Amino acid sequence: MKLQIMSPAADRVDFKVPPAPRLDSLEGKTIGLYNNMTGGADVAVDRVAEHLTNRFSGMKFQRYGGDLRPGRPALSRGNHIDEEEAAYIANEVDAMIGATAH
Amino acid sequence: MVAMEKAGVPAVAIAARSFARAWQSCVDGWGQPGTAFVTIPHATTGQQPDYIRKMVDEQIDDIILGLTRLTATPAGNGRARNGGESTETLIVEMDDTPLGLDAVNRFLEERDWSDGMPVIPPTPAAVEAMLKGTKRDPQDVVMVMEPGFGLATVEKIAVNAVMAGCAPEQFPVLLAAIDCIAQPEMNHRDMQVSGHTEAPLILVNGPIARKAGINSGTTAMGPGVINRPNTAIGRALRLCLINIGYCKAGAGDPNFIGLPTKFGMCIAENEDLSPWQPYHMDKGYRHDESAVTVVTVTGPADILDSSSRNHLDTLDNIGSNMAYRYSGAGGWLRGWQSAQVGHTNKRVPYQGPYHPIILSPSRAVILAEAGMSKQDAQEWLHEHCRISLSDVLGSRGMPKDANGKWLTHPELQHLENDPHATIPALESPEQYLLFVTGGSTHYANFFYGTYGIATMPVEDV
Repeated sequence: MKLQIMSPAADRVDFKVPPAPRLDSLEGKTIGLYNNMTGGADVAVDRVAEHLTNRFSGMKFQRYGGDLRPGRPALSRGNHIDEEEAAYIANEVDAMIGATAH
Repeated sequence: MVAMEKAGVPAVAIAARSFARAWQSCVDGWGQPGTAFVTIPHATTGQQPDYIRKMVDEQIDDIILGLTRLTATPAGNGRARNGGESTETLIVEMDDTPLGLDAVNRFLEERDWSDGMPVIPPTPAAVEAMLKGTKRDPQDVVMVMEPGFGLATVEKIAVNAVMAGCAPEQFPVLLAAIDCIAQPEMNHRDMQVSGHTEAPLILVNGPIARKAGINSGTTAMGPGVINRPNTAIGRALRLCLINIGYCKAGAGDPNFIGLPTKFGMCIAENEDLSPWQPYHMDKGYRHDESAVTVVTVTGPADILDSSSRNHLDTLDNIGSNMAYRYSGAGGWLRGWQSAQVGHTNKRVPYQGPYHPIILSPSRAVILAEAGMSKQDAQEWLHEHCRISLSDVLGSRGMPKDANGKWLTHPELQHLENDPHATIPALESPEQYLLFVTGGSTHYANFFYGTYGIATMPVEDV
């Protein structure tokens, strides 16, 4: 016999974000290092910074998360980057590396 | 990371390998399935720095590649639309062989549309019958459920309610539970996608409990025919979280091991035997109104109590569960948590956690006979369940301004260097959510709250 059933799976909000253009080179670029304050995430992004410094000249880094600097976004566990913060950070960095403890 | 990409900044994330599917599931929902990420073998929490560095070293080339080259975009899953259309129907071939009888379950499981247990086939007739349990329009969108950003229409919720074994008279309870999940202060995103284990606990008050057949007596949280409404409602919510929120095991749901309570939990207060006013009246509802509360919890711990001699022994035994240092204790010192909802990630502060303490009626009577109101009991727990301030500060420090002044609760900063200072484990007495139900024996259940809580009315159908 044929049984007709209704799909339990929801339609999803139609939302698309195109990827940002990639960098031609990392030389002289400023990289954001985001950790969400879960254990060891800061160590992971700091290690990335070490590698980038060794491989490319003129690297600079901006750290996000961990501490709460006056007037700066509080980026912590449970606080993801919202659109306003992303726009703010976009003025300071050329690219972003993020890590969670997970 | 998707927010950064949207702002025009190329981004690469580092995540543990066991979270790879979860990561993919989240970025699918965020509209950018190709968001770059690398995986490392293990979560970093608790690992020695040298080991973390070693794990990162192995991925550095791919991290650089992710910033300089676009990755291929994997196909998303699920239909992407913006609502207003009725649910698609599908045809399943069945027969009376063992495999044929299980055809619907296999069909659903092949699509990951199940909790893994056999379901009632959601035929159009069964769904239509379920919809008679509400006055709401089938195409009303109750919420957008994360992490998949699925549209929770009344009809789609009804499909999942049928699958779970709900009856139409239980449907309003389920809808009210999803109304709760929809409240920003529930922080349902984190409930869905956290790596640690938690589940929504549905608490029912008012006349709807009897109308829906919910057991509020012996074994109410357990198996058995008398608990079918409890089980079906709790399970229906889980199926909605899976099929509407796309919180699939191992993907949107990355729990490190999961919890049996995630199959579903729904209980009603034993209002006949409780010496206190029902919980929903604490929240401002009338006795003859019905309300549903959903709170995100882990646990429970069963509190054995065969030795208490009085009300203080009873409370002390319950409060001893707060000895678990990182059970949210003292976190309020750093201010309220915030939930982030929707594609803009707008923040909504909320108070948490709420620890539901499920008291058997006899435990509540002990307290009441000693002259304690529910609020008295909550205040006793608030006063006596304390945590060392140095432990709180040691775990994560405090947010400070440029001058070193605490940004939250500066009135307590003078205790900063006092090794003997303690603070209440929870910010407010009402965060000890006392709920009286079950058989009248010498037990209680202690749930650790994790994220948010919300209470919503149940429609009168």
